Amino acid sequence: METFFNPRSVAVIGASNTFFNLAATICNLLKYNKYHGNVYAVNRKGESVHGCPGYASVLDIPDEVDLAVILISAKNVPGIVRDCGEKGIKSIVIESAGFDEAGDEGAALQEEIEQYMRRYGLRILGPNCLGTLNTHNKFCCFYGFIPEKYGDGFIAPGTISYIIQSGGIGVLVLDSFNKDLCRVNKMVSIGNKSDIDEADLIDYFNGDNTEVIGMYLENVQNGSKLMKTAMRVKKPILAFKVGRTAEGSRAAMSHTAGMANNDVIFDSACRQAGIIRLKSISELHSMPKMFTTMPLLRGKRVAVITNSGAFGGIAADLLVENGLEMAALAPDTIERLAKTGQLFNAKNPVDLGPAMSKQMFIDIFDILLSADEVDGLLPVPNVWQDIVVEAILELIKMCHHYGKPAALYIPNAIERILEIRSMYRIPVFESPEEATRALVVSHQQYTYILKKEQTHEGDAAEGAGKETESAIGV
Amino acid sequence: MKEMLQRAQERKQKALSEYESKALIASAGVATAREKLAHSREEAIRFADELGFPVVLKGCSDRLMHKTEKGMVKLNIGSAAEAADAYDDIISRDDIGLDGVLVQEQVKGNRELVMGLIRDPQFGPCVMFGLGGIFTEVFKDTAFRVTPLSPSDAEEMLEEIRARDILDEFRGSPSVDRDTLVSALVGLGDLALKYPSIAEIDINPVIVSGNSPIAVDALVVLNGGERK
Repeated sequence: METFFNPRSVAVIGASNTFFNLAATICNLLKYNKYHGNVYAVNRKGESVHGCPGYASVLDIPDEVDLAVILISAKNVPGIVRDCGEKGIKSIVIESAGFDEAGDEGAALQEEIEQYMRRYGLRILGPNCLGTLNTHNKFCCFYGFIPEKYGDGFIAPGTISYIIQSGGIGVLVLDSFNKDLCRVNKMVSIGNKSDIDEADLIDYFNGDNTEVIGMYLENVQNGSKLMKTAMRVKKPILAFKVGRTAEGSRAAMSHTAGMANNDVIFDSACRQAGIIRLKSISELHSMPKMFTTMPLLRGKRVAVITNSGAFGGIAADLLVENGLEMAALAPDTIERLAKTGQLFNAKNPVDLGPAMSKQMFIDIFDILLSADEVDGLLPVPNVWQDIVVEAILELIKMCHHYGKPAALYIPNAIERILEIRSMYRIPVFESPEEATRALVVSHQQYTYILKKEQTHEGDAAEGAGKETESAIGV
Repeated sequence: MKEMLQRAQERKQKALSEYESKALIASAGVATAREKLAHSREEAIRFADELGFPVVLKGCSDRLMHKTEKGMVKLNIGSAAEAADAYDDIISRDDIGLDGVLVQEQVKGNRELVMGLIRDPQFGPCVMFGLGGIFTEVFKDTAFRVTPLSPSDAEEMLEEIRARDILDEFRGSPSVDRDTLVSALVGLGDLALKYPSIAEIDINPVIVSGNSPIAVDALVVLNGGERK
């Protein structure tokens, strides 16, 4: 699988100098990114494209080729796949559309490709996909990617890897991270999944430098393979799936079948296999930072800290509505809080009032994080002085010390939130709803890890205990 | 059970009769109402007497759909004379050739649950649990799990329905025996893995009598028997 993200040499089949040639944009991007491997263009005339040497056939390329990227009309694809097999290319990305998704004729073409795949022992990504992207080595075979516009995605490599069934979603995620703490590691678009599917890629991302796996799915073909794979993986797997309202197409003879539309089953499968089901597309890029910057939420009891009574109430509602609890503070904790200074309210939600010193913030964070009855924090501080930012930076360290997370929200306009987040590298969420969701998914991941460990208890190797501790962020 | 399913397939049955369906789910560990299949009025009276009044009489056939609407379900039969009348009435309405008339203990309880099974094209056999009775499809308060189920998967299903509180002490009735529910759900999943010819199962209602969930009606839908 590594070849798909880090090929030593790649042939872009279909890249030419004709006007509006999509495959040529891949050559252009790889040159722009100064990709370390050899890039060849294959077209009828055998002409070079954007400085990539050109050949009329892959069979004419004098050197070894690791990866072929095919973007030509569907009817010509099977023959080219055969050529690739003859050339000894084992990894192929087919970006062309017009296969299984396009009726019987297309399905016949896909079947022909699959025959060559078996004959030559190929691995195929697609067809009808956008290809792969790796920010660490700047490899990208997405077509139509304009480096001048979206090249920022490559500036700082990250640790979040995405499996997507839509190129548009990929670009949205990549772009959204420019003002966030997380960055993309790898991204792959799976298209018709004639060979490589989401389960294969989860497996691959489980073994590389990925910290969080994100998925945008439109359908699942092999449900049990996905579940078996996900059950083995302890990295967070976040999935957004469309089709929540579509009814299953099966004939409903029993009442049970009438209630079992495909989405209900997918949802159950996620719970069973430990996949976090996202509620909105923006959660694909807003949630990962909770996993990369904070320990997991081990219980449901959350303490809210704010200097606005209103936000105390808002946060309390949100927590309870989403299945979490407002931590009931012990008398001893309340007493310690009261001693820190002039708090408006020393119960949960803790109301800080206006006058504050950095040390007072730190004392309050420490009292709450060290309290047995508190599993995590939802701080909603007004960042009206630099000392607040300084205190938050301390809070992040303290969260790791106590192994308890904080999901921060700053009650300001979005521009200010983004500014503070990118300037100070503080994990701030963009709304109280988002911060609450971050706590929910964090707790969900914690319970999933426990479940996965229990499932594998019998056959787990001796080192499993160690692995657990790191996986749940201790 | 294997022979029963084979016979049903040979006869090209689309489903099992209620009697056969219950025998099958009982083999998977689902508690079912005590019942016997009567082939004469005299047998019906004797079975009713053995089970103890009140009883329920129902027409029984794999081809019988909508038996309530067809007047083939007689509840609250309190005496031998009523049993005889009910038997005769069911037989007089028979236009499909019934296997017989099912004489069943009348299970009493104010809580009704549902269990079921379907085969999803992507995920394979899935077990369902939920709020049962005639409003099942209105409330759609159900939880699904993909087979094979672990007991903890089944326990999660019990916690997942909105009406989960009715499994606790409820209007003077004790809390429901959860272990029985869990083993029934796990058993249903195993049934699907063992017999590919089972396409779908509906068990509705499962009436909670005291603290015991008991399947009162069941339907097993068959497919061509091709292995998924």
